[in-house]
Amino acid sequence: MSMQVKKVKPLDIPKKGGFLSYVKSEYMLYLLMVPGLLYFIIFKYIPMYGVSIAFQNYNIFNPENSTWIGFDNFSKLISQVGFQRALYNNIIISIQKLIIGFPIPIILSLMINEINSRYYKKFVQTSVILPNFVSWVVINGLMFALFSPSMGGIREIANIIGYAGDLPNLLTDKDSFQAVIVWSHVWKNAGMGTIVYLAALMGIDGQLYEAAVMDGAGRWRQLIHITLPCLKSTIIVLLMFRVGEVMYAGFDQIFAITNPMVNSVADIIDTFVYRVGLENKQFALATAAGLFQSVIGLMLVLITNAIAKKTDPESSMI
Amino acid sequence: MKKTRAEKAGMIINGLLLLLITFITIYPFWHVLMYSISNSQAASSGGLFFIPRELDLLGYRMVLKQPQLYIAYWNTIARTGVGTLISVILTAMLAYPLSLPRLRGRRFLCIAIFFTMLFNGGMIPTYILINDLHMIDTFWALVLPNAMTAYNLFIMRNYFQSIPASLEESARIDGANPITILFRIVIPISTPTLAAVGMFYGVTNWNAYLDGVLYINSNSLQILQVYLRNLFSSAGSGAVLSGVQGISETSKVTEETLKMVTISISVIPILVIYPYIQKYYTTGITTGAVKG
Repeated sequence: MSMQVKKVKPLDIPKKGGFLSYVKSEYMLYLLMVPGLLYFIIFKYIPMYGVSIAFQNYNIFNPENSTWIGFDNFSKLISQVGFQRALYNNIIISIQKLIIGFPIPIILSLMINEINSRYYKKFVQTSVILPNFVSWVVINGLMFALFSPSMGGIREIANIIGYAGDLPNLLTDKDSFQAVIVWSHVWKNAGMGTIVYLAALMGIDGQLYEAAVMDGAGRWRQLIHITLPCLKSTIIVLLMFRVGEVMYAGFDQIFAITNPMVNSVADIIDTFVYRVGLENKQFALATAAGLFQSVIGLMLVLITNAIAKKTDPESSMI
Repeated sequence: MKKTRAEKAGMIINGLLLLLITFITIYPFWHVLMYSISNSQAASSGGLFFIPRELDLLGYRMVLKQPQLYIAYWNTIARTGVGTLISVILTAMLAYPLSLPRLRGRRFLCIAIFFTMLFNGGMIPTYILINDLHMIDTFWALVLPNAMTAYNLFIMRNYFQSIPASLEESARIDGANPITILFRIVIPISTPTLAAVGMFYGVTNWNAYLDGVLYINSNSLQILQVYLRNLFSSAGSGAVLSGVQGISETSKVTEETLKMVTISISVIPILVIYPYIQKYYTTGITTGAVKG
């Protein structure tokens, strides 16, 4: 018996020997990691090194002949009207998505949490998460079916509310397109956020509510003094993620639903990068735009994380 | 617990509001499905569709004769199947060693992987890489570039960390090596998390279209989402539709019906499957607290 115990012990205390002898004894663990690590090196880290072409006069046909030109691409970029417009749209769209899209899942989860019937609760939950499972291309098709002035469902809705005039085509109208972007984003993603908050709500100790009821607190007071404080950490973490994404206004979405008519309000940094880089083959300039985007994005994440760490140490990400 | 009248009224209003929200999320799908099985002429006046107008499956008969639809469907199924399998295996193989406190260099590797969530090379350097690897216009361009995400990796690692160490230790005493332990012990007891991560990868693969636009040029590798996108883009829809109308009996079926049929054909599998996979999805999100 005691012999066996002695045999077990060296297993959980790392040997004090050199790194090489350690690797030798645990080589199988490292072997397991080889394919995954290769993936991250090749597909994530090599492109990170690849951003160096933003500082070059990159020659597509003969990359070896590229010369270093410092920040020239960036100054060229900043002075370009097209880029300024893309940056502006990018930030405006992101901020609208944040302001409108962020509170809705919180409100929805609180509403769903108030339902007493288990079946109805399940039904609502299952429904609101449905749009999360389809692609932006499909959503583009759904919006066409609903908003097309000629054959869309919108005609009858207009009739119901007593509007008989001409209907604008929301999908090709500059004045409405950003609203289409923001609300379709909410429609697709609110369900997912709702599920996260519902999980957090489920984790709240029921005794807290019982005690509050004893003290005579109504539903509203329970919400303010128990539910919201318990959700605080989840809210801060998700808010942080969203603020960090402000530079990414939703390429997947906008690339799927955009059209030439609305370019001036829907062109964001990613669509700019796609057009300049892959359509016009100005690789260096497009890479500079992409690098500008990801550096600011990274800074935003680090700043929000630092703020979160100060206000609530539990909710910091790093 | 007794309820005041105001509380009861609040409950009813809340229930009705949620009913309205549910309607807003479900109706667009219902609309398209009902439109797709309606008679083209009867449907062309538009409006809301709660039931089909003059049930008519001619649109389906025409769209289903399209060879390119089958090619695109098959490519999507293939990339989803192969892609998800590769992704789950790679993720588990990397997550397991990273879940063990005895692994040296663990902290460094986790930070290096976490960093890929915060910063990336962007579209153009990635495109240049795929091009240099000679993967443009190959099936692998749909599978490998997004094979893993740090997020899914950490979900799996967090779950593996919660497995009692004693289980693994007893296997080691019996002489099992880490590879055997992973595949014979750790993976079999982690099926719910594996399923959740598999669903994440699967849904992402099924719905992805940017890689199909960026890296694929030939029709034989076209995926369903790109097929659909072309149908709805002003430049591409003519080509797709003339393909359909070429085989059509007459022009009795409108463009709109053909579009609605094609969307329906692409979302029906998801509408059927998602209520079942939804619960794995939920466990995935709720165990997904990321800590670097």
